[in-house]
Amino acid sequence: MIEFIALNLAPIMFASLVLFLILGYPVAFALAANGLLFFFIGVELAPLSGGSITLDWPLLNTLPNRIWGVMSNDTLLAIPFFTFMGIVLERSGMAEDLLDTIGQLFGPIRGGVAYAVILVGALLAATTGVVAASVIAMGLISLPIMLRYGYDRRVAAGTIAASGTLAQIVPPSLVLIVLADQLGRSVGDMYHGAILPALILTGLYMAYIFLLSIFRPEAVPALPPEVRTLGRGVTSLMVAFVALMAIGYGAHVWLYPTQGANADILGAVVGVLAIYAYTLIDKTMGLNTMSRLAQQVIIVLIPPLALIFLVLGTIFIGLATPTEAGAMGAVGALVLAFLKRRLSLAVITGALTATTRLSAFVMFILIGARVFSLTFYGVNGHVWVEHLLTSVPGGEYGFLFVVNLVLFVLGFFLDFFELVFIIVPLIVPAADALGIDLIWLGVILALNMQTSFLTPPFGFALFYLRSVAPKSRYKDTVTGKLEDPVRTNQIYAGAIPFIVIQLAMVVMVIVFPQLVLHYKAPVIDPSTVKIEMPTLQPLGGGLGVVLGNRAGWAVDWEHRPGCRHPAVAAAPAPGGLGTPPALQPQGGLGAPPALVQPGAGWASHPQRCRPLQAVIE
Amino acid sequence: MRGLLGLSSFIDRFNEIVGKAMGWLILVAVLVSATNAVVRKVFSTSSNAWLELQWYLFGAAFMLAAAYTLRQNEHVRIDVLYGRVSDKTRQWIDLLGHLFFLMPFVLLMVYYLVPYVAQSIRSGEVSTNSGGLIIWPAKAILLAGFVLLSLQGISEIIKKIAIMQGLIEDPHPFHNAKEQAELEAQALIEEAQK
Repeated sequence: MIEFIALNLAPIMFASLVLFLILGYPVAFALAANGLLFFFIGVELAPLSGGSITLDWPLLNTLPNRIWGVMSNDTLLAIPFFTFMGIVLERSGMAEDLLDTIGQLFGPIRGGVAYAVILVGALLAATTGVVAASVIAMGLISLPIMLRYGYDRRVAAGTIAASGTLAQIVPPSLVLIVLADQLGRSVGDMYHGAILPALILTGLYMAYIFLLSIFRPEAVPALPPEVRTLGRGVTSLMVAFVALMAIGYGAHVWLYPTQGANADILGAVVGVLAIYAYTLIDKTMGLNTMSRLAQQVIIVLIPPLALIFLVLGTIFIGLATPTEAGAMGAVGALVLAFLKRRLSLAVITGALTATTRLSAFVMFILIGARVFSLTFYGVNGHVWVEHLLTSVPGGEYGFLFVVNLVLFVLGFFLDFFELVFIIVPLIVPAADALGIDLIWLGVILALNMQTSFLTPPFGFALFYLRSVAPKSRYKDTVTGKLEDPVRTNQIYAGAIPFIVIQLAMVVMVIVFPQLVLHYKAPVIDPSTVKIEMPTLQPLGGGLGVVLGNRAGWAVDWEHRPGCRHPAVAAAPAPGGLGTPPALQPQGGLGAPPALVQPGAGWASHPQRCRPLQAVIE
Repeated sequence: MRGLLGLSSFIDRFNEIVGKAMGWLILVAVLVSATNAVVRKVFSTSSNAWLELQWYLFGAAFMLAAAYTLRQNEHVRIDVLYGRVSDKTRQWIDLLGHLFFLMPFVLLMVYYLVPYVAQSIRSGEVSTNSGGLIIWPAKAILLAGFVLLSLQGISEIIKKIAIMQGLIEDPHPFHNAKEQAELEAQALIEEAQK
């Protein structure tokens, strides 16, 4: 009996962790206690285990250093910064302004309010990043409008709840930060990888509304034109937009010789600033060359866009690390709140208190997980899990299926911090052994965990919406008509199409890894490459790299056993491993970058992968 | 019991002061990090001391605020079961959890951190990065965090026993996820109406 326990301590330990956690004592301490308890059991049973338990008392001395490692971790520093930024923005009333204005802009078309909710959801996701705040703001502002003009209650509820959860996948989401930390990859790469799936997901939500507007137009009616209290005037908005494009393109052409690949983003910045300045002058001087609607849209929309540029733009063009961008975003949020006269001492202390609380519980879950893993690795638990996961039939797809299923089910009970800190470290070795790109895996997991906010009956977005949606019959403040409440099962039913869209997105990312893998320099198919060997030039040195077929490269990396992360290493890599991937001069998906730097990919497997440069030789 | 409750409320007050003060460190960290970013870009220099200061501040914030977070009952739980059992059972889970999960862990950490920090102070440990900060104050913060947590654990045990004996009201009763969402929504609505 004792021997049986000694030989199977890893599974027993895992089962008892489930028991410990389900008791409901705070996760951080339950994890640590479980780790310590099994440390003692493990040391006692080590002689009976035939060498599968490698625990002894001196190993406990490494605990301080493990916890020190958590404290001196640079990556997670981005968590308090983005949290603080989000809460300050939330208090600045940005969501309300956006919903009101964009709602008026789109309202008179069929499905318009729903489109506005989705768009604003994506904008808020990229700025405040707080699911609760987004859902509640939409529930307070957009839901009454949708109900008043006869939207299907399920569609209205589902759209709001789902749009609020976009904060989980759109950078700079906290999920992506903790995932990057646990996967041992850079946050910048994670953001690069997640941005395209996040945009596609937003597009799919809108496509769903579009289909509804064709096949069930009564579910998403257009609002009567008089709802636009800002008046008509889409034309001048169009003119402003065309002017923006023209100025942006001009600036792009002007900047291209000096700024290279970054000229497109910088050009857009110039265009946006020019229009913003013009609108402000137009409005304050009373010139009113533009319609009120156009003025309002531009004035409301530009500050969040500027903030998105300050945070995400600077990360993507390599100006700032995610931590720096988070800090600048937090300062930007303070400035924005100040300009809107919404900054007070109470707002600051409130945001600081909430940020400190979140930091403390998140970091302590991580500390608890580090104590747990000390023992779990000592009883060869990682080997057990790796074996379990790699023996799933179907190789890579089998692994992804099992992992996603487990996470989807656990997502009903655990929140994403717990999932990431407990589960992800266990699956990394197996993923590595199968040669799965960890950023790709991370994006898949993030999309999966996003659904846990939407799944009835425990989905948090649904709770938030339930708390602000009318529970009993109420009198509409505008029409004076008596309206039916929104029933809980209508909220649940409304969420289901969006859960299906989410899961479809997970499958899509699995089937088309390119959606994520563009974060690193495209892999070169050796057969189609002509390479002029670089002389040792500094980074800017020109390389005659002819890129191979983009679609073909995903296949390519599966065919190279032993080297599953073949980012291209073409340029002489100054400080190879240390080069922050955020510095990759990729303008985006469009043009293949003129200059290819080593991605972080093979850097994490230098022992297994030879740089492609050598392969080509 | 009166004396013990006095001790408990003293610990509570102390950790509240510390916990609330820690928020300001986060604001300082934000400002330091933003300045670092600008300086790095504009003047093309950076200082390891200032870079290290960022996580020093954040580390101090979360380590020293953990005790206050415990006091406020804000460390996350899994409430599938906990949310469904009676108040009485919940109190037992908390009491036994404090005694057998929390206290052994934090006391063991204090036991191992004392020599760890002493060693660091004796050797005058300095960051391995050139121009970096001295390390031992940060390690001392680690120790201080666990000492504060141990104290708060004692206070929580005292309070839990007093609650179970009906001597005091539960200052931070448990709310399940749904109630919590409602409370949060309520706060945000009030905020919006202001």
